[in-house]
Amino acid sequence: MLTRSLLVTGLRDLRRRPLHTGLMILGVALGVAVVVAIDLANGSARQAFARSTEAVVGRATHQVLGGPSGLPEELFGRLRVEGVRKSAPVFEGVAIALDLDRQPLHVLGVDPLAEGPFREHLGGGTFGTPGFGRFYTDAQSVLIGAGMARRYGLAPGDALRVQVQDRLSSLTVLGLIESADVEEQRSLDGLALMDVGAAQRLFRGEGRLTRIDLILDGDEAARVERLLPPGARLAPASEQAGSVAQLTAAFSLNLTALSLLALLVGVFLIYNTVMFGVVQRRVVFGTLRLLGVTGGQVFALILVEAAAAAAAGVLLGLGLGWALGQGAVRLVTRTINDLYFVLSVREAPLTAAAALKGAALGIGAGLLAALAPALEASRVEPIVALRPSTFEGKTRRLLPWVSLSGLLLALLGTCVLLGLPRSLVMSFAGLFLIVLGLAFVTPVATLVLMVGAGPLAAVIAGTLGRLAARTVTRAVSRTGVAIAALMIAVSVTIGVSLMIESFRSTVENWLDLSLRADLIVAAPTVGGTRAAPALSPDVPARLAAVPGVAGLETFRSVKVASPQGEVQLAVTDPRRERSAGLYRFAEGSPAETWRRMREGAVVVSEPFAYRHEVPAHGGSVTLLTDRGPHTFPVAGIFYDYATERGLVLVAREVYERYWDDRAISSVGVYLAPGSNVDEVADALRKALAGSALRVTSNRSLRAQALGVFDRTFAVTQALRLLAVVVAFIGVWSALMALQVERTRELATLQALGLTGCQLWGLTFLETGFMGMTAGLLSLPTGFLLASILVNVINVRSFGWTMRLHADPLVFAQAFALSVAAALLASVYPLLRLQRMPLATALRQE
Amino acid sequence: MPFRTKLRPEKRPLIRLDRVSKDYTEGTKTRVVLREASATVAEGEFVAIRGRSGSGKSTLLNLLAGIDLPTAGDVYVKGVCLNRLSPRARTLFRRDHLGFVFQFFNLIATLTVQENVQLPAELPGGPRGEAARRARALLDQVGLLDRAHDFPDRLSGGEQQRVAIARALVQDPKLLLADEPTGNLDDTTGEAVLGLLDRVTRQAGRTLVLVTHSPLVAARADRVLAIEDGRLVTC
Repeated sequence: MLTRSLLVTGLRDLRRRPLHTGLMILGVALGVAVVVAIDLANGSARQAFARSTEAVVGRATHQVLGGPSGLPEELFGRLRVEGVRKSAPVFEGVAIALDLDRQPLHVLGVDPLAEGPFREHLGGGTFGTPGFGRFYTDAQSVLIGAGMARRYGLAPGDALRVQVQDRLSSLTVLGLIESADVEEQRSLDGLALMDVGAAQRLFRGEGRLTRIDLILDGDEAARVERLLPPGARLAPASEQAGSVAQLTAAFSLNLTALSLLALLVGVFLIYNTVMFGVVQRRVVFGTLRLLGVTGGQVFALILVEAAAAAAAGVLLGLGLGWALGQGAVRLVTRTINDLYFVLSVREAPLTAAAALKGAALGIGAGLLAALAPALEASRVEPIVALRPSTFEGKTRRLLPWVSLSGLLLALLGTCVLLGLPRSLVMSFAGLFLIVLGLAFVTPVATLVLMVGAGPLAAVIAGTLGRLAARTVTRAVSRTGVAIAALMIAVSVTIGVSLMIESFRSTVENWLDLSLRADLIVAAPTVGGTRAAPALSPDVPARLAAVPGVAGLETFRSVKVASPQGEVQLAVTDPRRERSAGLYRFAEGSPAETWRRMREGAVVVSEPFAYRHEVPAHGGSVTLLTDRGPHTFPVAGIFYDYATERGLVLVAREVYERYWDDRAISSVGVYLAPGSNVDEVADALRKALAGSALRVTSNRSLRAQALGVFDRTFAVTQALRLLAVVVAFIGVWSALMALQVERTRELATLQALGLTGCQLWGLTFLETGFMGMTAGLLSLPTGFLLASILVNVINVRSFGWTMRLHADPLVFAQAFALSVAAALLASVYPLLRLQRMPLATALRQE
Repeated sequence: MPFRTKLRPEKRPLIRLDRVSKDYTEGTKTRVVLREASATVAEGEFVAIRGRSGSGKSTLLNLLAGIDLPTAGDVYVKGVCLNRLSPRARTLFRRDHLGFVFQFFNLIATLTVQENVQLPAELPGGPRGEAARRARALLDQVGLLDRAHDFPDRLSGGEQQRVAIARALVQDPKLLLADEPTGNLDDTTGEAVLGLLDRVTRQAGRTLVLVTHSPLVAARADRVLAIEDGRLVTC
C-alpha cells in the first residue's frame, strides 16, 4: 500500500525533525521503561521465590504439614513402616547470618539418607564424599551454595555467625554446593543445608519436624491421609508456591497499575508529538493528496512513522527499564521482605517476556496515540489540507463529542467500579476509565476556564493578557492534550499522596491504640509478619524480676492451616482488654468481647474478614488445631494494618486448649507508675544479657512500624514522580510545538516592539494558564482518585478501610507543582526562540 | 569605491546607511547580500527598493528596522546607530520610532482587529484607554472601524493589510517600513492599499521605505533604489 518513495518521505521527515522525533521516542521510552522496570522487579521477586521454593521442595509431590509446633518426629518412622518409602523429614528455620550482611539464612535440615529422590541437586555429590561424616556428627556443620560462599569469601572450615531466635550461635561451613546450572546456583543463595537433627537442636525443635516431603503416585495420597494424626495434614507441594504468589498479587498489581498510568501519560505525549507533526506537515500531506496519494496511504504513512519512532523508543525504553528495574527490584524486594516472606534478589535480568511485553505496549501505545492524528490527516480533502488551521478547526468541532465520550467513559468506569465489587483488576480498569474519561473532558474544561481567565488577564496585562488566554484555546488540540497529561500526573500525585497520608494517619492512630505496652521484648525478625521466633521459656520470669516492671503480656505469632489456606494466628494474653476504638464490629463491649474470647471465641482482623467474607455478626472460622479441625465463633472484627493477609486473634488459654505449642514470640512489658522507661529498658537488657533479644520502647517500635510503612510506599512515590516527569516532558513538547508553530507570530510581536522581558512575561502567562488549568482540574480529579484508592482499591487489595484525610497542603502543593512544571517547561522553548535571529524567525512559515 | 545615493538637499536625512555590508554563511559558503551600501533617505520621502527575488531587499529593510544586523558598516535612523544599540534598546527604538508593514500582514490571529492595532501602543505601558482610543481613530482612518471586534481571519487580504497599516501607525512613527505590502494582494486591492499608505505617510509628513518588485508600485515613489549584485544603486 505504501510506495517506497512515500516511506522514504516519512522516514526522512523523522530525520529532519530530530526534536519531535526525539520527543516521540522519549514518550514511548519513558512509558516502556517504567512498565518494564516494575515488570522486572515483580518478575524477579516472583522467580526468586519460585527458585527458593523449588530448592527446598525439590521433587516432592506432597508435604505433610503440622501446626505451629510442627509434626512429631515419630510420624516419619510410622510412614516408612507403613510403606511410604519416598519420604524425607525436613526441619526448616530462618536464622540471621550476621557475617553475610545480616541476610536471612534459610536453614534446611534434611536427612541425607532419605534425600536421594528429593533434592539430589542440593547434595551435588557432596553427601558421598570423604569427611562428609561430620555432617551427621557435628551439630554446627552446614553446606552452603558456592556462589554465596564466593561472594562473601567463605571456604570449607570457616565459621558463620548466626542469630537463631533469641540466641547467637556459630555454624561451620563443611562444604560448598556447586552447580553448573546458573538457575540452580541462584536457587542456593541464602540457603544452608544441615542435618535434620542438628537443625532441630539449633532451633530448639527436638523431636519435631517442620514437614515431611513425599513423592506419591496415584491413590497413595488417600492412604497417607488416613495414616495422619489429628493436627497433621497432607498438602500438594505446589500449595506453598501458589499461596505466596497470591499474597503478593495485590501488591504487584498495584505497582503494575501505577506503571501503566505512567504509560498512559506517555501516550498523551506521543499523541501530542504526532499531532504536531501532522499539523506542521499539512502542506506536505495536501500536496501528496493533490498528487494522487490516497487518504489510506497518508493514514498508513503516519502510522508507519509512529511505529518506527515507537520501535526506537522501545529499544531505549528497554535499556532504561532494565536500569530502573535494578533500583525497583531493591525497593520491591525490601517491601516483600518487610511484609511477606524472605527473599534474596540481587538483580533483575531483562527477560524475553518482559522485553516482548514492553515492546508490545510501547508500539501499541505509539500506534494508539497516532491513530487520531492519522485519521485526521487521511480524512481531510486535498484542497482543505493546504489551508492552515484546518486541523484545529476540525478538532474544535469534535470537542463536544470528545467530551461526551469522556463523560461516558467515566460513567462506564464508575459502573465497572461499583458493579464488580470484589475484582481488583476490574477496579483498576474502572479507575483507568474514569481517569481517561476526565482527561477527555479536559480540553473543553480548558476552553471554559480560559473564557473566564481572558478578561481577568486583560485587566492585569491588557491585550497581552488576552493574547495569552486565547493562545491556550486556539491550539486546544495540543494544549488540551498537554494539560490533560499534566492533569493526570498531578491528579496521581494528589491521589497517591492523600492515600498515603490517609493510610499513614490511620496506621498511626491504630498504633496508638494497639501498641499499649511500654516496652516490647522480642527476638529480632527478618520480616514483619512471618511466624516470629520463639523465646526461651524462662524469659518472662527473668523480665518480671526486674524492678519497675508492673506487668507482662505475652504474645505468640504462628501460622496454622485452615480450609481457606494458611492463617496467621496471634495468641494474646486475655488479661488486658483491647481499646474499643480497635474494633470495627464487636458483640457488645470490649469487655464482653474479651470474655467471649476467653470462652473460646476469636476476633479476626478486617482484612481477614474481607478475604474470607466473615459477616459482621455471627461469623465463624474453622482452623486446623492439634486436636483436629475446630470451628471458632467470631466475637468481633478489629482494625489491623500489620498484615494484609489477615489475622485471627485468640486468647492464650484457648490456644493452649487446642494446640500443643507453648512458646511465646514476644513480651509486652508494662511499667510501674513513676518508672523511667530508659532505666527499666537498660535493666531488662542486663537481665537478658547473653541472648539476642531486643528490648524496644513503644516509641521506637512505632517508629520502626512507620519506617516499614514508608519503605512500602517508596516504589509508589518513585512511580508518582516518574508520572510527573513524563507529564512534564509532555507539556514541554507541547510548548515546544506551540513555540515552533508561533515563531513568526512571536517574531512579529518582537518586531512591533515587544521586549525580551515582555516576551518572557507573555510566555509565562500562557504556560501559567496551562499549568493553572491542569492544577485546578487535578484538584477534584485527584480527590476522586484518592477516594477510589482509599475506599475501593485498598479495600479490595488488602481489605483495609481507612479514613480519607484530605490535607489542604497536598492540594496546594499539587497546584504549585502543576504551575511550576508548566512554567519550567516553557523555559527551553523560549530560549530557543530567543536564540533565533529575528529576521529568520519572521520568515518562518 | 562604494556607490553613494544622493541626498535631497532641501530635507534632513532620516536614514543613513554607511558602507553597510551583509553576508550569510551557509555551511562552508559565504553569500554576500549587500556590499558596502551607502544611502540616505530624507524625512517625508517615499523611497522604493527594487530588486530580483533573493537580491537582499528584505534584508535591507530588516537592517533599517534593527531586526537584523549588518556584517560591516553602520545603519543610522534619526541619527541613532542601530547596530551599536543593545538588543533591548533596538527593540525599544523600533517600538517608539518605526512602523512595519509585512507582505503577509502578520496579524495576530487570536486578537481582534482593534486589539491588533492597540497592542503596540500598550507595550510601553501607557494608559490602555488611550491606546484603545488611538487604535479606533486609526481604524476609522483606514475605514475599518466597523470591523474592530472581528478576528483577522474574517477579513479579506486587503482589509488585513489596512489593519496592519493602522497597527504600524499606532505609535505615530516618523518612519514606516513596508515589505512588499501589496505582494499578496490583487491589483485593485493593492492599488487601494498603496493609496492608503501614501496618504498616511508622505501626505502626513512621514517617511516610507517600501520594498517591491513591481515597477508600478515603484513608480509612485519619490525615488527608487535597486539592489544589483549586492550593490545599492539609484534607478
